[in-house]
Amino acid sequence: MSSAEATAEGGHDKGKAREAFRAVTRDISWVAEAPKPHKAWLAALAISSAMLMVGLYSIYVLVTTGIGVWGNSNTVGWAWDITNFVWWIGIGHAGTLISAVLYLTRQTWRVSINRAAEAMTIFAVMCAGLFPLLHTGRPWFAFWMIPHPNDMGMWPQFRSPLMWDVFAVSTYATTSILFWYMGLVPDLATFRDRCAARGQNLKALIYGIFSLGWRGSARNWHRYERAYLILAGLATPLVFSVHSVVSFDFATSQLPGWHTTIFPPYFVAGAIFSGFAMVLTLMLPLRHLFNLKHIIKESHVEAMCKIMLATGMMVGLAYATELFIAWYSGNLYERFAFANRALGPFWWSYFAMVGCNVLAPQFFWSQKIRRSPVIIFVLCIFINIGMWFERFVIIATSLARSFLPAQWSYFSPTRYDVGLFVGTLGLFFTLFLLFFRYVPVIAISEVKGAMPEAHAGKEHH
Amino acid sequence: MAHHDHNEPAEPAHGNGDGELYGVLAEFDTPGELVEAARKVRDAGYTEFDCFSPFPVHGIDEAMGIKRTILPLLVFCGGFAGTVGGLLLQWWCNAYNWPWNISGKPAWSIPANVPIAFETTILLSVFTSFFGMWILNKLPQVWHPFFRLERFGRVTDDAFLLGIEAKDQRFDLARTTKLLQDAGALAVENCHLETDPSRKNMPKWITALIVSSTAFALIPFAVAAKARNSHSSQPHIHIFPDMDFQPKYKADTASDFFPDGRANRGEVPGTIARGNLAPDELFYRGREFPADRSQYNECKDLAADQPCWTRGFPQQIDVSKAFLERGQNRYNIYCSACHGHDGEGKGMIPQRMAELGGAWAARDLVTTQTVITMPNGQLFNTISNGFNTMAGYAAQIPPVDRWAIVLYVRALQRARNALTDDVPPAEQNNAASQQLKAPEPTK
Amino acid sequence: MSLTKSLAPDEKIKAGKLGTSLWKAGAGIAAVFLGISVILGSMQGDHWKRFLYAYVIGWTYIFTICLGALWLVMLHHIARGRWATAVRRIAEVVSCAFPIVFIAGLGFVIPLLAGYQDLYYWAHHDAHDPILNHHLHHKLSWLSPGFFSIRYAIYGVVLWLIARYFNNKSREQDESGDPKLSEQMRVASAPAMILFSIVTCMVAFDVLMSMAPKWYSTIYGVNFWGSAMVGGFAALALLILGIQRSGRLVHSITPEHYHDVGKWMFAFTFFWAYTAFSQFMLQWYGNMPEETVWYKYRLFGEWQWVSIAMLVGFWAFPFVFLMSRWTKRIVPSLVFFAVWQLVFHWLDLYWNVMPQYDWEIVTRGNVTLNAGPLMGNIAYHHVGFSPVDVTVWIGLVGVLLVGIGRNLKGNLIPTKDPTLPMSLSHEVM
Repeated sequence: MSSAEATAEGGHDKGKAREAFRAVTRDISWVAEAPKPHKAWLAALAISSAMLMVGLYSIYVLVTTGIGVWGNSNTVGWAWDITNFVWWIGIGHAGTLISAVLYLTRQTWRVSINRAAEAMTIFAVMCAGLFPLLHTGRPWFAFWMIPHPNDMGMWPQFRSPLMWDVFAVSTYATTSILFWYMGLVPDLATFRDRCAARGQNLKALIYGIFSLGWRGSARNWHRYERAYLILAGLATPLVFSVHSVVSFDFATSQLPGWHTTIFPPYFVAGAIFSGFAMVLTLMLPLRHLFNLKHIIKESHVEAMCKIMLATGMMVGLAYATELFIAWYSGNLYERFAFANRALGPFWWSYFAMVGCNVLAPQFFWSQKIRRSPVIIFVLCIFINIGMWFERFVIIATSLARSFLPAQWSYFSPTRYDVGLFVGTLGLFFTLFLLFFRYVPVIAISEVKGAMPEAHAGKEHH
Repeated sequence: MAHHDHNEPAEPAHGNGDGELYGVLAEFDTPGELVEAARKVRDAGYTEFDCFSPFPVHGIDEAMGIKRTILPLLVFCGGFAGTVGGLLLQWWCNAYNWPWNISGKPAWSIPANVPIAFETTILLSVFTSFFGMWILNKLPQVWHPFFRLERFGRVTDDAFLLGIEAKDQRFDLARTTKLLQDAGALAVENCHLETDPSRKNMPKWITALIVSSTAFALIPFAVAAKARNSHSSQPHIHIFPDMDFQPKYKADTASDFFPDGRANRGEVPGTIARGNLAPDELFYRGREFPADRSQYNECKDLAADQPCWTRGFPQQIDVSKAFLERGQNRYNIYCSACHGHDGEGKGMIPQRMAELGGAWAARDLVTTQTVITMPNGQLFNTISNGFNTMAGYAAQIPPVDRWAIVLYVRALQRARNALTDDVPPAEQNNAASQQLKAPEPTK
Repeated sequence: MSLTKSLAPDEKIKAGKLGTSLWKAGAGIAAVFLGISVILGSMQGDHWKRFLYAYVIGWTYIFTICLGALWLVMLHHIARGRWATAVRRIAEVVSCAFPIVFIAGLGFVIPLLAGYQDLYYWAHHDAHDPILNHHLHHKLSWLSPGFFSIRYAIYGVVLWLIARYFNNKSREQDESGDPKLSEQMRVASAPAMILFSIVTCMVAFDVLMSMAPKWYSTIYGVNFWGSAMVGGFAALALLILGIQRSGRLVHSITPEHYHDVGKWMFAFTFFWAYTAFSQFMLQWYGNMPEETVWYKYRLFGEWQWVSIAMLVGFWAFPFVFLMSRWTKRIVPSLVFFAVWQLVFHWLDLYWNVMPQYDWEIVTRGNVTLNAGPLMGNIAYHHVGFSPVDVTVWIGLVGVLLVGIGRNLKGNLIPTKDPTLPMSLSHEVM
């Protein structure tokens, strides 16, 4: 709407910077403004909502029948449910890492993916929350976990790590939503103004309500930036605490294979590892379909591959430390637990874990591989699978072979275990696809702020 | 925000209509020029001005002279409140209001409270920074005069704007416009407030929407209020039936199935509850079957299969000083309220009843001849099953303790009926001992 | 941000005599204090045991400072860092003290090889008693003076080679200004980081954790690393200040750089507390005797006061105050916290090592046996502070200063590093 004016007023240099900013707005808004959704998007939405239906049916059967429809038993009391819970929570952590930790460490490449990664965090936490909720058996009593005066005179048991989970995960979900929304406000204002300029009044009104009357005032930006920095500073220890608390669920017990002190940092590293794999699983196809290659650049994808390599090595180092200390400790049970992982009845899951988590990322040493999206995509799928198996190995193998040999057992999932997992995948992808269509998928204002033109002024550069 | 519906396109360099002047808005080409212009405007002494840009412009805070926000301090306070609140919550719930032993750990286990205190710290800090930022920014603010300028719609896209309000003391339309033009503005516009009162009003349909949605939102509260202030004979609604309705009989209900019409089934004759089998007649009931009955006045004529009250103690009982003291202890707890500590039947309850003008009969255990001569077994039986208005104590006092009480009652009787000969010879000259004499037996 | 600056024309960037005076001063400190320590140690009457315990603490202390400096150098390369270019040479200089540090460490490794039994219980002949120490028996080939010394040498060589590589390449770039060298260092930093992590964990396990050979914790190496980084960044801040006081680099290194050093110090203060709490809470919660024994000797009796001092001094106080932007930007305030954290970093190592000092002697029949550390009654278990604990520490810091001073030559800043202009104009948001 203003290009003519800018050209009229502009000299040789005049208007060039504005032209660049306008291009960014246009290229990002295009994803949501295209009158007809992309066919691939529609197909993906159809598949993911079908998966969601499978999940809803599994939940229906579970709630009306009981936890017995799962493969869990007295011996293996936690299985796919908690595996999936930890897996999903872990995936969410990459979003926080990108939006907070990379912000604090001034990695400007984060701006191209932070919005989508934060959305991914929220959706992943939603999926994660479902599992413990449903595992309670009576999810309608879940509010008992929130301390409130009641006629039973009961209070939650705050010394239980499962209670810590309730607080950690709900704080994490709240913080992630607020952080994400705060980042969205200036971009929603962009959408508001674009819709208003095109005369789409209803859309302008809806975007207008959610953008809170944002007008890009420098006095507002000042506090906004400070709040953003503070939230990033708060989200960083939060993301550590959440997966640490998840690891406490296991590590506070005395079960060999669960009780080990390295769990907190090791879980955090694994979470970031799997989260980046999921970010790339989502962003590589979308980047291709929606022509965002000049914003989500090759170098950004490469940086994420390197982070996966680094966190994969950390996870590998933690595996090695656990093995070494199991031998070093001289503790019979500890040694058995680790021998059983690799050689016991679940040996296949152990090798899936090591293969996918330690060996697969080694390919990222090669720059050639870091620049070929197809191979990266395949490796990311491997890492997603590997990190799922990591949680499965920890949970199922330790429980199936605990102290009493008479109690030993094996775990096989039922169709409802699988159905619910598929359903959460459906929920996740459905929400993500909707997000991609209706919300600014890339942080427009942050991309602009990171552009060289943003610093153009009197100073040389 | 849909201000464009009501506005005519703005006239460049002139602004929007003829209402009261709100201020001027200037556009600059680059962020750098905006920073420079902001510095000039501030140096010229203006205070009521603001810059608008699609992203935070580096260096503009310093150029405009924006003071550092107090937000970090607020967040620190919020976080501190979160830590203290989180710890207090856990202390109150688990250590004060309902202490509960979990794996032998102290009721208030600080290491186990750290994770939740940490999360509440973060949560309150996040709330303070998020909501504090919007409040300090005075947002949400649905409307602003600059929204009426079409140029302002580009502030979220590519425009770098500087607005000066007319209320600034240094504001003078011509001079201020000149200042901005000299600072390199691409264009300077005037911004007027709306004059037509009808345009200031909210559109009718928005008002209608707000009113009707508010009314709808009140419905659940109204239903809840009605339910709390009225009675209903209907059972409450079971959204989740759980196991509330099961095909089973509850106690003391009617049944069509059994001929007696009751759901309760009686015990099979001879049923003894677990732990209640008391095969030892002597120990549990104080009865024995002596071969030689010559010593047993009240039953010496009965057949050999008829029981007699025992005169001694069962062999399980070790008649010792400790056992006697146990008896004293039990007696004082269970019996003294009526029979008195000395056994004379003047416990607190009879005394109190006499004071109130009533009567509460309690047997004098130490001078009544029938009690003194009563066999031990019968005394035990009386304690167990009661006598006249006295209720049985079998349910409260285990058999061993009842035997202990029997022993103590015997001791009380012996003490009450002692003679001078009972006093050790060394003490017999003592004045108190002199007064001891054989009591006058009552009937 | 991308505004750039070049080196101020009147900037003094050459080390000149600074290195010589530093290493001479360090040598003086080392000679005096180690001399005093030898006298004090011999007067201790415990056959040098206290002296050697203090020596292990002091050695670990100077080792961790070099470790912190090396980590910053590698992180800077691996993450394409910008801000640290201006201080990177100083960190490189510190990391190049590794050879001298590892030579100093022979002060406890050689006695071990020579058959000294009272420092590490696993080197004591009673450790081989299979009934007294059946949880120890299987690992005595790993924890043997010979294999320990071989590993010690490997750690030294690996760290020395890594430090030397980055230092040489960086100085090479001073000459040639070749941007490819930055690329080479970046590529090398990835495998170097992996080796570094393994070596750091293993040093923690071997030198410190094996002090209580029956106890184990998988997070121990990570916790040690966190503490080491606090010490490393604190020492870096002090060294930068010292160099600036001598009139060098006064324009190049600004409060912005101090701010970032302070941020890392703050971050690792938090990280240390996080890992220390994880280790403690999990062992406290699990409540298994073989694990809680380690804390039993630290949380009760005299040692509980040291533990409380650690909680308040190494975490709570600096954590609360370093949160503010200004405590990191105002140089005297940052320096105060750097000195504070350096003292508490030492106390952390002291807290890790010294509770193992008291060993219990048991008698079985007519045989007197040594049951090793963490085996006695906590009532008889004392902090037993001795002046030799401090004099050895100061003496070894003198050794570190020799190591730093010997390498403090030539340019104090990577003059031709392509990222230097960005680092010079660095501004913390």
